[in-house]
Amino acid sequence: MTTMIHVENVAKTFTLHNQGGVRLPVFDAVNFSVAAGEALVLAGASGAGKSSLLRILYGNYRPTSGHIHITHAGRAIDIVAAVPRTVLDIRRRTLGFVSQFLRVIPRVSALDIVRDPVLARGMSPEQATARAQAMLARLNLPERLWNLAPATFSGGEQQRVNIARSFVDPSPIMLIDEPTASLDATNRDVVVELIAEARQNGAAIVGIFHDEAVRSQVATRYLDITDFRKAA
Amino acid sequence: MNAHPTLDTDDTRPAYNYAYLDEQTKRMIRRALLKAVAIPGYQVPFGSREMPLARGWGTGGIQVTAAIIGPADTLKVIDQGADDTTNAVSIRRFFERTADARTTEATGEATIIQTRHRIPEAPLSAGQIMVYQVPQPEPLRKLEPHEAETRKMHAWAEYGLMQVKLYENIARFGEVTTTYDYPVMVNGRYVMAPSPIPKFDNPKMHMSPALQLFGAGREKRIYALPPHTSVRSLDFDDHPFRIQSWSQPCGLCGASDSYLDEVITDDKGGRMFVCSDSHHCETRREAGHRGEMLGDAAALHLVEEIKP
Amino acid sequence: MTVHVSPPDAALDPAPLLSIARVSRFYGERIGCADVSFELWPGEVLGIVGESGSGKSTLLRCLAGIDRPDAGEVLFRGSGQPLDIYSVAEQERRRLMRTAWGIVHQNPRDGLRMDVSAGGNVGERLMDRGDRHYGQIRERALDWLARVEIAGERMDDRPRQFSGGMQQRLQIARVLVSEPKLVFMDEPTGGLDVSVQARLLDLLRVLVRDLGLAAIIVTHDLAVARLLTDRLMVMKDGHVVEQGLTDQVLDDPHHAYTQLLTSAVLSV
Repeated sequence: MTTMIHVENVAKTFTLHNQGGVRLPVFDAVNFSVAAGEALVLAGASGAGKSSLLRILYGNYRPTSGHIHITHAGRAIDIVAAVPRTVLDIRRRTLGFVSQFLRVIPRVSALDIVRDPVLARGMSPEQATARAQAMLARLNLPERLWNLAPATFSGGEQQRVNIARSFVDPSPIMLIDEPTASLDATNRDVVVELIAEARQNGAAIVGIFHDEAVRSQVATRYLDITDFRKAA
Repeated sequence: MNAHPTLDTDDTRPAYNYAYLDEQTKRMIRRALLKAVAIPGYQVPFGSREMPLARGWGTGGIQVTAAIIGPADTLKVIDQGADDTTNAVSIRRFFERTADARTTEATGEATIIQTRHRIPEAPLSAGQIMVYQVPQPEPLRKLEPHEAETRKMHAWAEYGLMQVKLYENIARFGEVTTTYDYPVMVNGRYVMAPSPIPKFDNPKMHMSPALQLFGAGREKRIYALPPHTSVRSLDFDDHPFRIQSWSQPCGLCGASDSYLDEVITDDKGGRMFVCSDSHHCETRREAGHRGEMLGDAAALHLVEEIKP
Repeated sequence: MTVHVSPPDAALDPAPLLSIARVSRFYGERIGCADVSFELWPGEVLGIVGESGSGKSTLLRCLAGIDRPDAGEVLFRGSGQPLDIYSVAEQERRRLMRTAWGIVHQNPRDGLRMDVSAGGNVGERLMDRGDRHYGQIRERALDWLARVEIAGERMDDRPRQFSGGMQQRLQIARVLVSEPKLVFMDEPTGGLDVSVQARLLDLLRVLVRDLGLAAIIVTHDLAVARLLTDRLMVMKDGHVVEQGLTDQVLDDPHHAYTQLLTSAVLSV
């Protein structure tokens, strides 16, 4: 299978300049690869740096050293060294991030939030709308909410909009951070299905799942972050 | 040649230099005029002098006239179209005394016509010079208060703002309500203030065979339209420039193609419309044209009834 | 929400729209901004953040053609060859400022003609470029007023009768009507109520995206930067201390000053 992510010697240390320059080492010498069709679940105790690693893969945190090669449009690009516009292009076309919370933008309806990424990839408005509606329905979001801005939605409703946006047109690489935390059992199962479908369609998945059941349903492989904790 | 009293050796009054201004000043003004003629519509700065007249009463026009007038010239001075108002009479007398000039009220006879607020109705001809008194030479001034900025706007023909002013007029009143000092584009290059003549007179400037000179004494600017220069009133494609028109002809001479002033004839609401160009009106009456109210006006001693 | 379909290679334009090299401006002994270099690509939105006096507005004025930098160059690539906006004739620079880019000022009074109607304000750039059909100018102005959510019946009102948020939206319409490639914004939401800010921000976000505009936004509000910008530049005492992707800089700040800035706000 195609290698989609190749992590090479990645280390991360936070330096807090305004707190006496204290240095917080997170991990060191992280090496792994993820292929298309794989679902790698990050394991390790809370605070081990799972979220930090996921954010580094997304180009959101900058590693202290190391390289992360992302296969983007048939080429491996080091996202650590890439210029901002390349990172943005990688995110737009290759790299999706499913966060724990929806970042609510005032005045944008749930349907538009979900439709947006599909439109950005060039689908016709009619098709995009149909797909967005289908996805919202699948996640059991009441139809009366579709045309409202999610600012007033409950946490679970907001999270379903967030997941719908991420899975309406899954990216070749999906980075998933605790997507099911605020969901009930029914919707949790839908999310597991969505992840499985994306993976079967060739997506490379890297995720963090708090829920043991979800974790075992999703994972094809585990990676324990604690192994990379600095000796210090 | 009729010798002028002020030039008499035994005259007790002070002997002025010919046409009042000293020769250096005339030279300076003529240079400014030459430059102005060379760049139609461009405002040329000049060293405006103190004149025996308050600034704002035509000092620019007087200086231009004084710089170009010669003993062979015949001068006509009009104010709002009339030859007989105070300002016109004073300026005419000024040149009679200082320039030994022949004066006239007949447009056709004049070689120089100094004017405030009108262009005569009779067509001008080659060889004639119009001298306009200009209170505010800068057409952009009300829109842009900074001189440094308006000069740049002229230099690079950035005239969008002028158009905005017309836009505002149409948006608010349905038409361009500017009725005098209506801005014009000269020779396709400079936007120019035609001085406070009614927009009725704007078309007369276009391709006129006469030389037209503009003097702003207080603002120290001179500009010019050489003969046969294109002068286009600014407008929009779908709101073309139009001159004023009246529902009735001149009450005195019956002219239907001249600029009319409203004259109140009594305190009971009586009024009449008459030619603003007094000489034009008289000429027509001498030629036998009669307006509907000529009899009434003569009875009120507003005009003398002229026997043809 | 209006539809925007960006071509797949939108981010991969062959050349930057703006190339800034070592731009510095001094006020006597005091540094306005020093040695700033970066490139801005078509469609990119760059935020410049920092406290008052950090030099961000000075830099913006240098980039926008208002103040000539004491050193460095500002290359703008409209169509064809890039040109140094301070070595072209002033006439050309003024033309570019009226057509190729626009400035949205913090104070609407600096960007609007307060005694000209809303329609006239929007139409000015069209008349600047030579449009002379009243009906068409009006039609386009009306269209742009609608796009910035100003009711058509307010078209002939003067901006002084508008609320602060409307004035700001009018300023945006006035700039965007000439379809510039680049917009500079100096604290576009400064001085507005929070609720009004949100509306304006959303409007800006949609317009920037739908028109594929490149923008440089000066702000001290990190939430504004988060919402609107792709990239961020952090300035302190006239120097750029950190730059990168907006979410990188805000979520994983490296410089002491950036850490101070991001920790000083509750949640962005």
